[in-house]
Amino acid sequence: MKKLAALLLALLMALSLTACSGKDEQAEKLDLSAASWDQIVDAAKGTTVTFYGWGGDEDRNNWLANVGAPYMKEHYGITLEVVGMNIDEILAKLAGEKEAGAAAGSIDMIWINGENFYSAKENGLLYGAFLDKLPNTEAYIDTQDPETLNDFCMPIEGYEAPYGRAQLVLFNDSAVTPEAPSSAQELLSYCRQYPGKVTYPALPDFTGSAFVRNIIYELCGWEQFQTMEADYETVKEAIAPALDYLRSLNPYLWNEGRTFPDSSTTVDAMFTDGELVLAMSYSPYGVAVGIENGVYTPTTRTFLFENGTIGNTNYMSIAFNSPNPAGALVVINAMISAGLQLSQYEKLRNLPVVSPEKLSAGEKAAFEAVDMGEGILTQEELLTHRLPEMPAKLVPVIEEIWLNEVVGK
Amino acid sequence: MRKKRTACLLLLPLFAAAALSLLACGSVLAQSLGVIPAFGLEEPTLDYYRDALTSPAFHSALLVSLRVALLSALAAALLGTVLCAALVRVCRARGAMVSLIRLPILVPHTVTALFAILLLSQTGLVSRCAWALGLIDDPGQFPQLLFTPGCGGTILAYLWKEVPFVAYFTLALMAGVSATLGEAAENLGASPLRSFLTVTLPLSLPAVSQAFLIIFLFAFGGYELPLLLGATVPKALPVYAHLAYMHPDLRQRPAAMALYGVILLLSAAMAALYGLLTRRLLRKIGGGR
Amino acid sequence: MRRNVLLRLFLAAAVLCILLPAAVLVLWSAAARWSWPSLLPERWSARTVRELLFGSQDLWRLLGSSMSLGSGAAGLSTLIGLLTARAVSLYDFPGKGLVRFAGLLPLLIPGTVFATGIHLVLLRLGLADTAAGVLLVHVMTALPYSIAILTDVTAALGGALEEQAAVLGAGPVRAFFAVSLPELMPGVLSSLSMAFILSYSQYFTTLIVGGGRVKTLALVMVPYIQGGDRSLASVYALAFTGSALLVSALFEALIRHWQKRGDRL
Repeated sequence: MKKLAALLLALLMALSLTACSGKDEQAEKLDLSAASWDQIVDAAKGTTVTFYGWGGDEDRNNWLANVGAPYMKEHYGITLEVVGMNIDEILAKLAGEKEAGAAAGSIDMIWINGENFYSAKENGLLYGAFLDKLPNTEAYIDTQDPETLNDFCMPIEGYEAPYGRAQLVLFNDSAVTPEAPSSAQELLSYCRQYPGKVTYPALPDFTGSAFVRNIIYELCGWEQFQTMEADYETVKEAIAPALDYLRSLNPYLWNEGRTFPDSSTTVDAMFTDGELVLAMSYSPYGVAVGIENGVYTPTTRTFLFENGTIGNTNYMSIAFNSPNPAGALVVINAMISAGLQLSQYEKLRNLPVVSPEKLSAGEKAAFEAVDMGEGILTQEELLTHRLPEMPAKLVPVIEEIWLNEVVGK
Repeated sequence: MRKKRTACLLLLPLFAAAALSLLACGSVLAQSLGVIPAFGLEEPTLDYYRDALTSPAFHSALLVSLRVALLSALAAALLGTVLCAALVRVCRARGAMVSLIRLPILVPHTVTALFAILLLSQTGLVSRCAWALGLIDDPGQFPQLLFTPGCGGTILAYLWKEVPFVAYFTLALMAGVSATLGEAAENLGASPLRSFLTVTLPLSLPAVSQAFLIIFLFAFGGYELPLLLGATVPKALPVYAHLAYMHPDLRQRPAAMALYGVILLLSAAMAALYGLLTRRLLRKIGGGR
Repeated sequence: MRRNVLLRLFLAAAVLCILLPAAVLVLWSAAARWSWPSLLPERWSARTVRELLFGSQDLWRLLGSSMSLGSGAAGLSTLIGLLTARAVSLYDFPGKGLVRFAGLLPLLIPGTVFATGIHLVLLRLGLADTAAGVLLVHVMTALPYSIAILTDVTAALGGALEEQAAVLGAGPVRAFFAVSLPELMPGVLSSLSMAFILSYSQYFTTLIVGGGRVKTLALVMVPYIQGGDRSLASVYALAFTGSALLVSALFEALIRHWQKRGDRL
């Protein structure tokens, strides 16, 4: 039996050796930093680009399959392969590849932002600076916009290109509750009025976490956090008024704040069932889509806090071991063009990332001609009530504090 | 000697699989000791284990997981054996019923969680039926089953999957035993109940107890149901570990891996303990081999 | 016969518990809006069925890859299970406890740990992101179940029948196929279905090891379930469960047929 085990081990080792020896063919690749854009487009022709990102949004999947992928095929001869995967799993996969020393991975483009971008960049999981390389950056993107320069206060340094914009909004059914609380204090009296019928998603849910940060902004201002150290006690002290407020909310929340729904999607479902009277979303135009699908009643309407709500941008980046970075560059460049941004605005009701000043008159008119539907706020209302994100490092700290200091307290 | 060699040959694929599993555990344990050279972590340390074991959140998570695993596995073993007996007795272990009980087994845990939410939440179908019957007039009056620290929803969802699993897992053996020895006992004059309790059940116990171990360990180490149906605090141990694993800072990875290491060691310890106990128990009632 | 009445009642309750969620699933997949306390949806819609059939995912390709993976995993895991069961129940050798432990090993490892760990191992073997790697991991996941099921039935059958056949002049392989295998069929059948089901519903391992390149129905379904669109989640869950049931019924029917033919010969 020992002999067999030894044989087996030898076999495994032989296998791993052959697997490793096949990976030294990287040298002849095109040097992207020196190549011209035309050379890059040429090199990308006929290749396949994989795009990894969250796959739970059927509308976006459809858009990528029916608009995005055919566009790449037609204009650049690129096959765009979209793979649905949660960002933490993507990072886990990249981390594994990095650890195993796999030179050529399987991921080209990643849909990413915030803490995950911060972590991926810190740990060398991203390809590097590429934003300046893209012709459409100059043509359509405001390069001095804080959201082009920083992602959750983390310098982007060209490691990612904007894909779409999100902003936290609240919504309820005006036929059920005529009030639309426009500040933290109004929200408290709203909860008192409808006890047990308001809640928010448990952190670290993306939307729940943004909601809590928004409450912090309401009560503690936002400026002090832009430079704060990610130290548990420091942060706890700075957000003490917000913690008090959240605890004062608990008695009037669903299940008296002992437990919170696991995700924003659960909150959404509870809202459509009538179990809750208020819900929140990171897609500012989501209500319009819901009304059209018949999921929300026609009297559902979007609103936000007078002092503004947190907005952030989501981005596209390239993996450190992307097998086809040239193709990824071409696809990303196309994604930030006015044409594809307009199509996303139209089909997905996605806040566009192109700068209005850089659009031609025709392009501008096309954006303005889009009918965004019912129950939503205008782009101008959203952008004038938009607050910057906190530093990525603070986010997990706040989530931990919330768990210890707010739930069931 | 020749027999030994044949046995070894027969076991070869199993050993290969086991070797791969051990390698997988090894790489996780290496990370739990803080060794991830790719992120500049090279010195092995037990600090991550110390931090994990001394945190109060860990203790409550451990209690939650033990509770969920024990309650759901015990109830499932009991109800599953009854279900299996019913299938053997009433349906002769074949036909549509047997295919039907396979349904919950092939439904993945995420879908089971969806069922639990559609049926058991305060606005679920059961609550609507209660309203239709005039028992309640607001969703808030329906008892909170999901997302509670008592983990009622998680346990119920596990039961939905595991009761049929125990029945199905035991079915082949129990049908065989019942068709031969059980009927023999009845021909010799034993009542059906007596023949079941004294002959069929003891001889089927190895399968039941193995099914118990499998579902206990699964409920102890599974994260999907407690994640989707559990309370915000306290979290089940695998959820706690999974959230640590998803922590965006990859240098926190060893902390998560230490939690997984703890789950791994506890599972192994419990399986070993269980092995000792059942061996003695089975020998006592004469069902052991 | 009072006991049979009780058992029948128990069975009826079990049927209700199993079928009720399935019925709710059907309703939800056709519901546009269904708020509390309506017992039936207020607005119906065929949107989800359209999405399932003509949406962004190629349903037929997904079904094909899920089913070939499932069948492959079922066959391999049952084969290895049979080999192991024979070794454990019919041969005498030291360290049997160790073998039993090795068989149960993947069960002792929590799913997430197993997936991450095996991903690292398969990366080094060059099997990550390949269908072969995913198949291997599915077999490993199903193996403990196959071994447990087949060891029980092999031990219950014992080696006596084959020894008789050997006395009558049959070679060991022929003795196994002619004498033991038909008797082991109920166990083989359970093992095949169980392994198929396990492979068919694998999510996390497929995701990590297949890297999203090996697409299965379960892999595509889970984000929709977590995505909160209950109607879309329901229609995918329905397609998934229905196809899985269909295939495992087919498995069973095929083997029954084969068994009957074997009986006649």
